[in-house]
Amino acid sequence: MENIYLPYLAEIIDIKQETPDVKTFRLKFNDGEIEHSFDYKPGQFVEFSIFGEGEAPFCISNSPTRKSGIECSVKRMGKITQALHELDTGDTVGIRGPYGNGFPIEDLKNKNLLFVAGGIGLAPLRSLINYCLDNRGDFKSITIVNGARTSKDLVYKNEYQAWEKAKDTKLYLTVDCQEENWTCMVGVVPKILEQLKPTCKDSVVIVCGPPIMIKFTVPVLLKIGFCPEAIITTLEMKMKCGLGKCGRCNIGNLYVCKDGPVFTYTQLEALRYEF
Amino acid sequence: MIQKIVTKEELYKLLDSFLQDFEAIGPKELANRGIFYEIIKNAQDLYLGDDFTTEPVKKLFLSPSEWLFKCQYKDSKNSLEEIVLTKTKRIIIGVRPCEARGLELLDKVYNSEYKDESYVNNRNRTVIIGLSCANPDRNCFCTSMGGSNVESRGTDAILFATEGSPERSRGDKDGKFILEIITDKGKEILGSIGRELSEEEKKHWQQDKEKRKDLVKTKIKVPEDLDKIFEDPYWEQVSKSCLSCGICTYLCPTCHCFDLVDEERKRLRCYDGCAFVDFTLQASGENPRPTKKERYRQRVFHKFDYFKKKFGENLCVGCGRCIRYCPVKIDISEIVDKASI
Repeated sequence: MENIYLPYLAEIIDIKQETPDVKTFRLKFNDGEIEHSFDYKPGQFVEFSIFGEGEAPFCISNSPTRKSGIECSVKRMGKITQALHELDTGDTVGIRGPYGNGFPIEDLKNKNLLFVAGGIGLAPLRSLINYCLDNRGDFKSITIVNGARTSKDLVYKNEYQAWEKAKDTKLYLTVDCQEENWTCMVGVVPKILEQLKPTCKDSVVIVCGPPIMIKFTVPVLLKIGFCPEAIITTLEMKMKCGLGKCGRCNIGNLYVCKDGPVFTYTQLEALRYEF
Repeated sequence: MIQKIVTKEELYKLLDSFLQDFEAIGPKELANRGIFYEIIKNAQDLYLGDDFTTEPVKKLFLSPSEWLFKCQYKDSKNSLEEIVLTKTKRIIIGVRPCEARGLELLDKVYNSEYKDESYVNNRNRTVIIGLSCANPDRNCFCTSMGGSNVESRGTDAILFATEGSPERSRGDKDGKFILEIITDKGKEILGSIGRELSEEEKKHWQQDKEKRKDLVKTKIKVPEDLDKIFEDPYWEQVSKSCLSCGICTYLCPTCHCFDLVDEERKRLRCYDGCAFVDFTLQASGENPRPTKKERYRQRVFHKFDYFKKKFGENLCVGCGRCIRYCPVKIDISEIVDKASI
């Protein structure tokens, strides 16, 4: 029997400063065999260990179709993320996983996809967006609405060009308030959606962002005509074990770590989840 | 099942003979503290009377704080060192029927999908000898939780103090027990002592056993569908006096929530509980259970709704510890019973 709490050792091979408080860490497993066999779906997460500090869950932000080590984007926030931000390339960390259900890719096939992201909420969506672009024939149009408080807070800036250029793909960037030299949209994400009125026909929307954004975005999506079943989100929760045992991440009788973190709005409504 | 009658003397003699090969653990009375599960060096130290241990037997399977591994840093290289689990066989004697059932409920979490290695190891290396409760107190409500003070589920063998048992007046050397041997493990350990009950005695014992269930006076009813009153102000009322001290979760034979914590370069699995405000507090400041209302409701729902939906049973065995030791006398049995209003 194996120790389910034992992580794999991994080395930080690259660190990218995305925003003043977000860094993307690229990791390579020390064990070549694990590096080869570690497989995951967009939307799954790992438990990230900094030995001596503890463990915290982060989604894998790169697509399994573009695997050169796994990537996690981390906003400096609490104890573990502070410690993580102080690490350098070459440092050793621990990785357990992948955990969670991931996005229901089969249900997205032959649909128009609308991605709605706020801030660091783009991280799990980036994995799925790039997955979809790498399997472009399986999906209809792709629309990405990505918002941040300020232009400085936009993550994965160096990918925008590729997304804009991709076939039948549109990218809308927005910031909360007007800034100098800003030529894209201005306004919070729900307002932008009201303006854009993206098609709900044969469409699925995948939303991820701060709870306040989701809270105001969902009613707009429903008004546009999306049915609750076609609204998919991925939740954040304090998750320790990732295995449905430690007991803190449940919403009703479902564990976010094991039964989620990806849920449809239909499921969340039934669980009386409030953003 | 084998049913026997054994004297306390022969039982203790047998236990003493085990002490060389096995680790024996059982309730022991500690001066000015109460009754606790302790390693028994001499069978005479055992307390097999009416009173209950403060802590449940859970702690011998899930330690309050336990090393999982250690990250070594040597010659500028990291390596993970796993903790070697002890294989020492052990006997735990004096486990109450409710606690033994509690272990079977913990099995559903720790010995199912994704097995917790240490827990499973502890389960596998243990023989459990139960002790039926001859004098349940008013906080006990096991018979309302699908169990009883005389059931053998989860034990390898179980002892029942006989009628008018000298166990009630501690220390009588002529005490007698009815011994029921349930599993092969139990037979291996206790098969050699006592004499089997005659058919007549068996019949009489069966009736007596049924009658003993009536000793559990507190009866409650769990509402069929708690979910209906999830939003009810009831939860705020009943949790008002809660101090969020968490003693209910620590002393519960079935509460099993934990935290993973680093101490130096060791990772530990430590008890944690839904009563604490930081149990679900996220680094961002978000907290899905910010007040006592949400936290107490979570405790009740986890036990009487969510767990039941997943595993078909309540995550409560009616041992009464959370009631007995609650500093503000919050009574979960009463709260659940009245929840349908």
